[in-house]
Amino acid sequence: MEISRKQFLKVTAAAAASAAIGSPGIKAATTGKPKRGVSIYSYSGELYVTMTLEDCMADMYGMDARGIEILANGHIEGYPNPSDAWVKNWHALCAKYNIVPVEYGHWVDSRMHEGRELTTKESYDTLVRDLKLANRLGFTVARTKLGVIDNTLTPVKNWREFIKMAIPEAKKLNVRMCPEIHSPTRLKSKMLDDYVDFIEKEKTTPWFGLNIDFGVFLNKPTAAMQAQMKGMGGTMTAGDKVEDIVPLLPYVHACHAKFVNMSDDFVETTTPYDEIIATLIKHNWDGYMLSEYEGSNKDVPGYSSDQLRKQHVLMKRLLGEA
Amino acid sequence: MLEKEMIQSRGFKNVSQGGKIIGFQVPIRSLYYRGVWLSQLRAATVKVDGEKFEGAQITWTISGKTYAQADLAKYSDVNWPLYEPAILTINKPGGLKLGNHEVEASYAYSASYMPPSMDLGFPASAKRKMVLAG
Repeated sequence: MEISRKQFLKVTAAAAASAAIGSPGIKAATTGKPKRGVSIYSYSGELYVTMTLEDCMADMYGMDARGIEILANGHIEGYPNPSDAWVKNWHALCAKYNIVPVEYGHWVDSRMHEGRELTTKESYDTLVRDLKLANRLGFTVARTKLGVIDNTLTPVKNWREFIKMAIPEAKKLNVRMCPEIHSPTRLKSKMLDDYVDFIEKEKTTPWFGLNIDFGVFLNKPTAAMQAQMKGMGGTMTAGDKVEDIVPLLPYVHACHAKFVNMSDDFVETTTPYDEIIATLIKHNWDGYMLSEYEGSNKDVPGYSSDQLRKQHVLMKRLLGEA
Repeated sequence: MLEKEMIQSRGFKNVSQGGKIIGFQVPIRSLYYRGVWLSQLRAATVKVDGEKFEGAQITWTISGKTYAQADLAKYSDVNWPLYEPAILTINKPGGLKLGNHEVEASYAYSASYMPPSMDLGFPASAKRKMVLAG
């Protein structure tokens, strides 16, 4: 998606106008629809205890889930310097299970040293080290998690500087850096305005964009979640309107298909998946939705896998794949 | 593969040097979803049957290298991976008696994506009934 926000608004306005007058001659450009994948984070209650990384990939194969997200600092043996043998085996496993490396989760750990924040140069160095490894493993999106400075998760003050410095490397390595927009951050907020202003002003598309976590749309928390929030002295805030994602879509290179509770009849009970996926299809967003299971019983063998399978049945239905 | 619990039974034993028991070791795995740099760790505390060990009484061994707790902060380039237990070695001449023990371990870690007011606020902590057999 290499069109600017302004162009995008023009295109959608034109499509809406043509729909309104019922013109049969003008069709919105169709670039496809969302694709399905899984973040290995979903298996974190079982990984290295009852499952290997290959077991997780084999499980994905059973869902026809092609896109994968791994967490660099967690799922790569020998990180940040894996052996050539490990990297070779990684590519062999992707081929064996028909998997596309999509998103490489990594962190710019601003508070890595006690009592001080990373300098801009240190942040750049750690960022570029990860972009290089992402490229070596075949990934094209990096979920670049930034350190934060307050309770609304405002990123560190120097983020613009080190991201700008890293753009030429990202371009050379074909990796799109995307901070994750995660609840309690809201899609309509100063933080998003700041990101969009930066993207437009610096013309970073597609080398710096966004990953939207569907948790921002969660509007029916489970009883367990409500009890947990109450225990922490807070209350659940209302989720964003699904339409709030639309103006951001030109900058969104991957989404976290966050989910908490799949029912036995294939409904995600907390988050409006039908509306989310219909909106993405309507606006021709064709990136990967990477499942992130965040519900209970993650350490019960087989439980996360069952939840993932149910979610992929739901997504297949909503995408017209089933 | 690792045991599900944070405190691992495999590797729980007394440690000898020069024919003398100088202490014991408690392997722990990280229950966090990502590996951490050693500089993100904060000193561990171990309790066995109520007896507390901390600070310089404990060392961390990760990937075969041993670190004093006071030195962890210097190693921002060494990663504690999820798939490998860290071995806490506790200095206690004579070690532990063979048999049953109640072992507790805790440590904190920094996560830069958490609000600073909440950082270090979710320490890792576990208690397990263990059998010392060697």
